[in-house]
Amino acid sequence: MMRAGPSQEEIRKHNLGTLLRHVHLGGPTSRAELTSLMGLNRSTIMALTADLTAAGLVREELPKDTGRAGRPSLVVRPETARVYVLAFEVGVDRLAAARIGLGGVILDRREAARAREPFDMAQVVGTLAGFARQMRRKTREDTICVGAAAAVSGVVRASDGVVRIGPNIGAFEVPLGEELTKRLALGLPVAMGNEANLGALAEHTRGIGAGCRDLIYLHGDVGIGGGIIVNGQLLGGYGGYGGEVGHMMVNPDGRPCACGSRGCLEAEVGEPALMEHAGRYGEMIGRDAVRAVVDAADRGDVMAQEALAHVGNWLGLGVASLVNIFNPEMVVFGGILREIYLGSAAQVRSRIATGTLRATREQVRLRTSALGDDATLMGAAELAFAQVLADPLEALSRVAP
Amino acid sequence: MSQGPILELRGINKSFGPVQVLHDVAFSAYPGEVTALVGDNGAGKSTLVKCIGGIHPIDSGEYFFDGERVHVSGPRDAAALGVEIVYQDLALCDNLDIVQNMFLGRERRSGLVLDEDTMEEMAAKTLAGLSVRTVKSLRQHVSSLSGGQRQTVAIAKAVLWNSKVVILDEPTAALGVAQTAQVLELVRRLADRGLAVVLISHNMNDVFAVSDRIAALYLGRMAAEVKASEVTHAQIVELITSGRSGELGLKNGNGAAS
Repeated sequence: MMRAGPSQEEIRKHNLGTLLRHVHLGGPTSRAELTSLMGLNRSTIMALTADLTAAGLVREELPKDTGRAGRPSLVVRPETARVYVLAFEVGVDRLAAARIGLGGVILDRREAARAREPFDMAQVVGTLAGFARQMRRKTREDTICVGAAAAVSGVVRASDGVVRIGPNIGAFEVPLGEELTKRLALGLPVAMGNEANLGALAEHTRGIGAGCRDLIYLHGDVGIGGGIIVNGQLLGGYGGYGGEVGHMMVNPDGRPCACGSRGCLEAEVGEPALMEHAGRYGEMIGRDAVRAVVDAADRGDVMAQEALAHVGNWLGLGVASLVNIFNPEMVVFGGILREIYLGSAAQVRSRIATGTLRATREQVRLRTSALGDDATLMGAAELAFAQVLADPLEALSRVAP
Repeated sequence: MSQGPILELRGINKSFGPVQVLHDVAFSAYPGEVTALVGDNGAGKSTLVKCIGGIHPIDSGEYFFDGERVHVSGPRDAAALGVEIVYQDLALCDNLDIVQNMFLGRERRSGLVLDEDTMEEMAAKTLAGLSVRTVKSLRQHVSSLSGGQRQTVAIAKAVLWNSKVVILDEPTAALGVAQTAQVLELVRRLADRGLAVVLISHNMNDVFAVSDRIAALYLGRMAAEVKASEVTHAQIVELITSGRSGELGLKNGNGAAS
């Protein structure tokens, strides 16, 4: 049977979601602004806000003195303190959890160091569930958890939360999502995503790339992950595993990669490569180690300078290919790549200037992450909010006590 | 960006006694862009900046601001146009707090007394607008701040006055890695907010990390003004050290009068 069009109910659902998204991403917004943003009339906006207010998702307030004549329009605010999600991160060197309120405000966070050893499901799930319990215990009675999601340093199957391969966290075919859902027992499934994909989402929605429709986010955390946003949408690919730019081959005869191949971008640019070139392999690990190399280079350490130049060269080569293929508006460097880019920008940009077509590069802006270490957690929160933003009332009725 | 330059100098000459420091220099800065000014020691970078800031009067040449020819005969003229300079030594007073420093010499008054509340609010708004979160209290003395924080205050001071052009002289010299990164990101944010930023730096990574255009001075002449996306590190080094690089640069690159 042919459908004539969306039903009234569907339109209302869509409008509620859109209004909530505006307030969630843009912060407090007046009814008048919402009217013009959504192109609906005032009484519709009023009815929609009334529904969302009744559900406890937003609150309406009189604005402070606007300094203008006339009756001021009511301001619609997200109920940040009341409606929240749990966001988790399984990184190479850290396990982190945060309670993030509607509107993208971090209300509480916990973090633990993770040793670089094979994946230990009981320990990872135990730590994260412990964090969640601690944070939930501190919340008030009337708060409500509307979702949960985890960002993982590895390739994740979104449908069931299985970590297919995470060479840097030692995980292979691990059903992390299922375990986490079971242990948390929120009555909600824990959504799972790749950390760089979610970082891209976060930078695109509320970071440096807000307003950019075509953006590439590169995330360094020992290895290198990527999230590619094309025309406002995260590029997933057929199985949802797309955007693995860290395993783009840049040097066929290069260094062996943890994935089994050779000369992947991550093998040439990741932390081990930098540390080895700088003659500091095994001394320190993580972000501090990378900072120490950049610092030494700044102070005139020739080996550190050469190591950065070397790594910058490969990074530039990789970015040049991405620029040619995707013609992005912005390339964002996050995680340890923030330091590496700032310390080797001359090489990176020289490579891009010589290795790309003028038409594809002339508009590209290279930027560092605005959300910094929180980018992945914020991305996980966006994923966790997805349900409630798609259909606010339905999602809420499912989690209501 | 298709907009024209907000600041444009043409044919600037400047001599100190018998020494001609700037020869027929042209220079432009565009809104929303970072223009890096590079050159070897003694190439004339500081002199050029001081001419822009009205500290040194120019001997001859044209100074355009927002498309109109102007005469800048002192720092106050430049400030009135919206040109602010952050010098290497930052020119902050250690014994004053952040707010006092930001309004030094341009204090707000309400009646006979200083309007501390408004000044504090404006300072807070400016720092927040630049996403500066590292400063704990606005009533902290500047002497208690780290190098990066001082640099941040100095930059915020320049932005406070609705400036249109901000010139930064070696803002990352003598800073640690984490602070350098913060200052570079701040420089980039200024431009992304629509200001024209001029960055003087010796560090090629800093220059390439944030610049949209690069202007290279060589022995008092403008060797080249190029887009940062169109040149390589090696080309810029050549322009700095020899005044030319392939097609780019001075036709008679030895600096002798042609």
